Amino acid sequence: MSNRLAKISLPIWLTTIFGILMIIEFFFSMPKIVTDTNTLLRSWVTIVSAAALILGTLILTIAHVKRAYERKTGWYYSLIYIGSFVVAGALGLISVRETNFMWIFNNMTSPIGAALYSLTAFTITSAAFRVFRARNWKATVMLVTGFIVLMMLLPVGAAIFPPIVPIGEWIRSFPSSAGFRGMIIGISLGTIGLGVRIFLGRQKEHLGIREEKKEAS
Amino acid sequence: MDMIWLGLIVGSFVSIGAYTVLIGDNPISKITEHLYTGILAGYTLAINWDFVMKNAVGKVQGGQFDFIIPIILSLMLFTRLKPEWIWISRYPVALTVGVGMGLAMRASVLSDFVGQIQGTLLPINNINNIVMIIGTITAASYFLFTTKYSGPYKYVNQSGLLFLLVAFGVTYGSTASFRFELVIGRLVDMLRPDVAMYTYGFLVLVAIILIYGYTTKRIPWYKGR
Amino acid sequence: MSIIKKILDMDQRIIYLGMFIALAYPILSPVILPVAIQDYSTQAFNFAVSIPDGSYVLIEGGNAAATHPQCGPGLTANIYHLLTKQCKLVFFSITAEPAYWTQVEIDNALAKLPATVAAKNGVNWVNLGYISGGESGVAALAADIRSVVSKDHFGKPINDLPMMKDINSAKNFAAAFWWGGSEGSIPYGIRQLVGPYNLPMSGSCTTNEVPNYSPYVSSGQLKGLFGGIRGSAEYELLLKVPGPALAQAMATNIGGLYFLGLVLLGNILYLTQRLRGEK
Repeated sequence: MSNRLAKISLPIWLTTIFGILMIIEFFFSMPKIVTDTNTLLRSWVTIVSAAALILGTLILTIAHVKRAYERKTGWYYSLIYIGSFVVAGALGLISVRETNFMWIFNNMTSPIGAALYSLTAFTITSAAFRVFRARNWKATVMLVTGFIVLMMLLPVGAAIFPPIVPIGEWIRSFPSSAGFRGMIIGISLGTIGLGVRIFLGRQKEHLGIREEKKEAS
Repeated sequence: MDMIWLGLIVGSFVSIGAYTVLIGDNPISKITEHLYTGILAGYTLAINWDFVMKNAVGKVQGGQFDFIIPIILSLMLFTRLKPEWIWISRYPVALTVGVGMGLAMRASVLSDFVGQIQGTLLPINNINNIVMIIGTITAASYFLFTTKYSGPYKYVNQSGLLFLLVAFGVTYGSTASFRFELVIGRLVDMLRPDVAMYTYGFLVLVAIILIYGYTTKRIPWYKGR
Repeated sequence: MSIIKKILDMDQRIIYLGMFIALAYPILSPVILPVAIQDYSTQAFNFAVSIPDGSYVLIEGGNAAATHPQCGPGLTANIYHLLTKQCKLVFFSITAEPAYWTQVEIDNALAKLPATVAAKNGVNWVNLGYISGGESGVAALAADIRSVVSKDHFGKPINDLPMMKDINSAKNFAAAFWWGGSEGSIPYGIRQLVGPYNLPMSGSCTTNEVPNYSPYVSSGQLKGLFGGIRGSAEYELLLKVPGPALAQAMATNIGGLYFLGLVLLGNILYLTQRLRGEK
């Protein structure tokens, strides 16, 4: 019983209490102790979030160390990861403004990151050529609006066909905006629904608790 | 040697390494990917450690002893590394999720729900407002009501779908433009007059390495479509 | 196999090579065309102009390495613009990598400023650096800055910074700019700054996110929006301060036309196949 209390029930209760504290402060006038507690809780969350990111990097590093140790496929690439992690991490832990650390980050990580992120320009072009077809009215609507908006965004679009700019802006500002507004309203209701489920303890996956089947318990 | 200029050359070389993945997976692209992940993980570790030191440990040292609690909670998070102790990490997660969900819910009601509905309450005196009102209502209905549609509601549903498709089409066109801007951003640095010769040189070098690898079958060739 | 099928099944690496040439050529041989200023950019610029001189402005810097070339020039122009209005700027970043790039953009703006414009760290601008926690971090910062941050990006205690003497929450600011890059974080600012504190806000994002935030612009929660490299170029043009954005914006022309040409070609070939009864 106390096992279940400490491992499952108490974390669920705490999630609910913290969440409700945040909500009631916003909608009702609360005594100073509540607002001060909330300020403290919010600042604590920033610390725990930073620690979670540190944990994430360590878990990734452990996975690579295991791969290298067990000589799995591509283990030598893991050595490159480990080496660069140790060098960058050590220099950064000395000081995040350490010159060599910033030079490595600026001239190696940033260009590679930018290059990797930009690969999708090529794949999206290839995919558009192969797959983006006006097979039915739905695809045609998407194709035509995408075409108009891309032409609007290109400086040469206005030179080729000047009315494309006001047409594209109108499509983006009105029908498209209306569609997104409907989505935003739907998503906000979904967020509220999810929050209610979490606070009622109906959704426990965020704590890593899976519902057990009745036969197994 | 000018470190900024040297940095641009190194940046050019590693970018070409990353771009080689377009030909197909090869050792050069894998090396650059692992190099990237390693340095980024080291950077993430360092900057978050610095944040915790400044804003938790520093505050405790300055006399704010209530910040010992988030330090303890952060240490509890590390029990995730041992499966038997994972339950201990549920407490800091409960704090993060509870506070985060509460903040998101309260703000979402005001800004995303009420704010957007207020923005839709427009006078029906011009075509733009009519489009906005009809589009919002039908798109929200399409999004929310997932039961089988029939009768007059079918037209509401199809109208909502039309507005959503327009939104997706606009996103597609914008995304295509965004992707080009990403490449251009990289190429501008690689093709600067003082760096361009090195870029071409690295391209030739990488091409030689890959051609050697493919012809001697040390690197498998990919039959890309 | 018919010629149409051969073209439709061509190796994608040929398409990649064509795109590479289409994007690289205008960088080597730029052609500058007139740029029509978009309505969203005009709104955002007018918002910046309307901020009273000397006000405190909160700026989120969210450009990472990949988005710095597109949105960075716009943030640089924004910083330049606000400092020339003697505004006091407080910067922060909600992700680790952009914290570095935000300082780069501040340095770029400071380098461009005329000598007569005051721009001293701690007096005219402060960079709080990286704030962890995502939206929770923004909410915490907006409620009580000192509960989240004790030292700035350079390690100086914020209580020692003259500018921060009477500043501790979103209530102390006249306006906010959210340069979210591709973080998708503008809604955080709207939910945690605009909603609770009625802090007027404008911002920038990458081109692909502009449609996502257009409902916020039309409802007035966001006062205009600069989108991607085009937005940055438009800000430079409106401010009449030349920068790198315009040439980069021009470089999208041939790549974009190549993309549209391929989409059209693909559809023409597909329709031709359908009419011929081919599969």
